[in-house]
Amino acid sequence: MSEIDPAVALRAKRGDEQAFIEVVQFYYPRCLRFARNMLGSDQDAEEAVQDAFVRVHDSFGRFREDARFDPWLFRILANRCRTLLARSRRHRSLIEYGEVPLSAAAPAEDFGADWAEEVRMVLDTLPAEQREAFLLRHVEDLSYEDIAAATGVGLSALRMRVKRACDALRARLTEVEQPNDR
Amino acid sequence: MIDETDELIQRAARSLKALPATNPLANARIIAAVRARRAQTPSRIVQVAQWMREPTLSAASAAFLAAAALVVGFVAGGALRTADGTSPEIAATTERPVPPGPAPALSAANTHGDVAVALLFEARNAKSVAVVGDFNNWDATSSPMKRFGSDGPWTTTVRAKPGRHVYAFLVDGTTVVADPRAPRARDLDYGGDASVLMVTTP
Amino acid sequence: MTRLRKLALAVVLLTGATAASAAAQDYSRLALIRDDVTRDVVRGLLGGAFSRGVPTEPLMAKALEGVAKKASTTKIRDAMNALEKRMRRAQDLLGKDASVDELAAGADALSVGVNEKTLARMRKAAPRRSIALELGVLTELVARGVGPSKASEMVLSLMGRNATGVQLTALSNDVQGDVAAGLNPEVALTLRGKGIMSLLPPPPSANTLQPRPK
Repeated sequence: MSEIDPAVALRAKRGDEQAFIEVVQFYYPRCLRFARNMLGSDQDAEEAVQDAFVRVHDSFGRFREDARFDPWLFRILANRCRTLLARSRRHRSLIEYGEVPLSAAAPAEDFGADWAEEVRMVLDTLPAEQREAFLLRHVEDLSYEDIAAATGVGLSALRMRVKRACDALRARLTEVEQPNDR
Repeated sequence: MIDETDELIQRAARSLKALPATNPLANARIIAAVRARRAQTPSRIVQVAQWMREPTLSAASAAFLAAAALVVGFVAGGALRTADGTSPEIAATTERPVPPGPAPALSAANTHGDVAVALLFEARNAKSVAVVGDFNNWDATSSPMKRFGSDGPWTTTVRAKPGRHVYAFLVDGTTVVADPRAPRARDLDYGGDASVLMVTTP
Repeated sequence: MTRLRKLALAVVLLTGATAASAAAQDYSRLALIRDDVTRDVVRGLLGGAFSRGVPTEPLMAKALEGVAKKASTTKIRDAMNALEKRMRRAQDLLGKDASVDELAAGADALSVGVNEKTLARMRKAAPRRSIALELGVLTELVARGVGPSKASEMVLSLMGRNATGVQLTALSNDVQGDVAAGLNPEVALTLRGKGIMSLLPPPPSANTLQPRPK
């Protein structure tokens, strides 16, 4: 996966607005993809990405000039996604607490054969840290070393998270592909 | 590195890799939000506090400050009797339907209690756009907007106190347009809709 | 010059200059009104309000809003008169020390049908800090379709539990979003209000409130 020219990131760090715009334009689609896959909601994903770029701007002073930009950006974005996930959990408990009648989510079996939708469904059932590790490794194509830098988690724990995510996906997707009693 | 993956996992990953399209509007919103962060400057109260901490300032400088304050009051008061001169053309309200989207504003506070709020508006064919609202006393000269790129959306940063504000966009100096991305409220005095901006505490 | 003297001088300068220059600035904005008749009417109304001790800034803004919206001189006059009346009432209810922002927010609350007693109760609940934000949240809830009495009770309850400005604004934004999604405004208020209440410590025993936490 291509990275932005480090000179552009440095110019942005030093306050060059045009360079910052280039950074936003370069990374926006990838960031939005990651946030959508993490959060499962377009609106939350846009909010997370916007917040992340504002935080990138605010904390550029702490970005080391000899460091790589990708892991740093994804660390900030992953943090924003975790915050929004926590908020949406609170929101869900609030809805239950308020006893507002909402249409219940359809059970997994009701979903059709749409492959991407099925993959997303399985992802949503994973613990957030497994989902995050899987997406960074296999969708954003970051190396384990970069993911460790982005998440602050050790390499062996990361490999375990990715493995568990893969096991869960494999189990569920195999089931979808070979329905045994239909 | 295809360590623990097999064909199934690779297919799953591929299905998640579709990149969303570049979105100039979302990019403009981010830049507007960042500009709002940059718009923070020390308040006058902080500057006065700074002056009070300075041990070397003389009574003469305090007297100068007093005189300057009075002169400002006098000159501005003079406009009461000489009220005249040019003003922007300001005219009737029309609505322009624009698809709804997430709220445009992202804010940052300064030490004054004012909060900088980034606003964004799409008006491809407009030659000029300004924000008018109770936070700038509906003064069309105080918050002109700038285009993002050559034909992108218009953005600016305004300052508002925490609380509820109503506002609109003034297009080409003649047409007042409600913000299609903000909640509306009835304008009980002049009719039509007002856009509502809720500004929270810093 | 001692620090104490500097402080005294700064206070005198700031208070004196602020009141005078605020009114002067409003008059200077008269230049933005091109129509002679409207300008004279507005100037007269500003002068009357000033002599009655009513802040002129919101009135000037109301006039310029009317000009921007191409309202007739009569409409502008009526809107300014109505606003001055509401601000005077807000002044009675919120106290003579109420800020311009509070008076403008109080006038807005009255305009959407909030009961006068609510303003007095809100001031009593927070006598020593600005309640402009709380008044704005109340106005917005009513503007979204919540009944004024239900909205008032909720805002007063949250003030009684020391809800932060961020929480109050979130309440308003969430109710707005729920109503836009089709939820009944009062159901949305109850739901969101309960959610915020669940995050707050039990009500303080004292009658008056602490300064609102940031």
